Amino acid sequence: MARDNIYQEEEFPSPLMQLWFHFRQSPVVKIGFGCFLFLCFLAIFSSLISPYSPVENHLDSLLLPPAWDDEGNVSYLLGTDNLGRDMLSRLIHGTTLTFGLSFIVVLISLVIGVVIGSLSALTKGVKSSFLNHFLDVILSIPSLLLAIVIVAILGPGLSNTLWAIVMVLIPQFIHITRNAVEEEFNKDYVLASRLDGANSLRILHYSIFPNIIEKLISQATLAQSAAILDIATLGFLGLGAPIPMPEWGAMLANGIDLFYIAPWTVYLPGLAILFSVVATNLVGEGMRHALKARKES
Amino acid sequence: MLIFTLRRLNLFLFTMLLLSILSFSLSFLFPGEQIINISGQINTNPEGIELVALEYGKHESILSQYWNYLNHLFNGDWGISMTSQLPISNEILSHLPATMELTITALFIAMVVGIPIGFIAAINHRKKTDDLILSLAMIGYSIPIFWLGLLTILIFSIQLGWLPSAGQISLLYEIKQVTGIQFIDILLSDSPYKWQAFQDASSHIILPACVVALAPATIFVRLARTSMLNVLETHYIKAAMAKGLTFQQIIYRHAIRNAMVNVIRDVGLQFANLVTLAMVTEVIFSWPGIGRWLIESIYQRDYTAIQGGLLALSSFIFLVHIFTDFIYATLNPLARETHRGSR
Repeated sequence: MARDNIYQEEEFPSPLMQLWFHFRQSPVVKIGFGCFLFLCFLAIFSSLISPYSPVENHLDSLLLPPAWDDEGNVSYLLGTDNLGRDMLSRLIHGTTLTFGLSFIVVLISLVIGVVIGSLSALTKGVKSSFLNHFLDVILSIPSLLLAIVIVAILGPGLSNTLWAIVMVLIPQFIHITRNAVEEEFNKDYVLASRLDGANSLRILHYSIFPNIIEKLISQATLAQSAAILDIATLGFLGLGAPIPMPEWGAMLANGIDLFYIAPWTVYLPGLAILFSVVATNLVGEGMRHALKARKES
Repeated sequence: MLIFTLRRLNLFLFTMLLLSILSFSLSFLFPGEQIINISGQINTNPEGIELVALEYGKHESILSQYWNYLNHLFNGDWGISMTSQLPISNEILSHLPATMELTITALFIAMVVGIPIGFIAAINHRKKTDDLILSLAMIGYSIPIFWLGLLTILIFSIQLGWLPSAGQISLLYEIKQVTGIQFIDILLSDSPYKWQAFQDASSHIILPACVVALAPATIFVRLARTSMLNVLETHYIKAAMAKGLTFQQIIYRHAIRNAMVNVIRDVGLQFANLVTLAMVTEVIFSWPGIGRWLIESIYQRDYTAIQGGLLALSSFIFLVHIFTDFIYATLNPLARETHRGSR
């Protein structure tokens, strides 16, 4: 066989790079990833992009329909709500609250979950079996119910719901990290570095984490779509963000009374939630496909 | 099977222990006096509180307090609601059946619709149908449930006027509560308008049950698809093909049965998710279930109710979980006894 590679040195891409290579194969996933980046952009620069302030009232233009309607006004592209607040600005600011905060929530619970999960994978015996059962019990309680109980302890409010969702997500991360670390620990390359005299922490850091990081990221995207839905649901139930805040769920709850005369106040926040969850799920789906493709290759 | 049962029983006892500890510790974590939180006696004078404190062993060690709490639970005394001053156990008994009715109907709909669609997707693997089903499933489990509920109310109740939008049954029918499950109560009652009431109750349950069922149905689609794909790759399917069976014979006689078994294993795991969805749906459709009752208790800071509701709802979920485990074990010998064959 002819060598078409003229360089002596062979380069192996890192697991993460291989994942990226497989990830960008599918066009649908690429679109989803594009939407995801777009949402991140909106979340970071919301106050620069949005045309008005999210709480500014335009009392001469209450309940304006979106601009494509006959009665719409192009200066309020997506219409206004019952207090004359611009829907577009509110939706853009809502990206920071619902989408941006869900990202932070997932990040915090990922870090805590991975630390506890990998430490628990190193322990054996009664302690680890107890933890396993305990996690099973926590995971069998519905996430919303758990969040509601935590909100009841801490009191309603946006920051408290965020902590509640962090605590709901942590067990999932512990579970997945634990299983992944234990699975890797049984492999031969770990044994090799153990024979070299590396201690457990060093093995975790240098051998195991680079190999399980993509599993964690794929779980994180799942968790993020759940977190978006949970933040919005708690906002909708009036337990999360207070009503004047442009959080998508709270906006939807605000629009219910006007559903019949101003349906866009309900359609638009709902579509925004749907869009962000679909984008997140597409990224996660692409990640899992890429993982599978990498394992098979 | 005996070992399997014992193992499940062990798990069940352990879980109940943990849940009761969790619920007991909640009374300390909630704001306010622990003894008021645990008993719900909010309108009593200091002497009354002292009596309750004695009853719950407040002055003894934490272990005997917990023991007293357990005794109260087993005697059916779950405290009284802080807002309505009715016993929590009665409230739960009157609200939980409505939730059971809704969730079990929704689970049924989700399985009946989701699993066949998943099989169809698997049979048409990597074709247009498969892609279409998968994309629809993706959208299905991304829809926020409260938004979907509002849209269905707008379309089917307000614009088309086909189905009622709120409640469990029209107020015209007077049905005495016996079991709490509306359909059984209607059949038990001796009202002359039994069948009209039955029709009315079924038209009330259609919308909320379909709304709850959508997201689990899409998950069943994916589960059924994966499990069918795995079955189609096994050796016994190849053997059946080599025998010259037609594709339909293979699917109906061999593949569906074996794929179903794996789907049933995951039904229990989906149930917690389904109850979460049902809680929100109950609020939107004013369904008199335990989810709506719990969410209202939060608005009213009724900590005794939250504590009891958490315990009741999670034990219900866990019971369903164990029940599906048993069904799975009865259907699949590999799951209960490892010596039967190999994978």
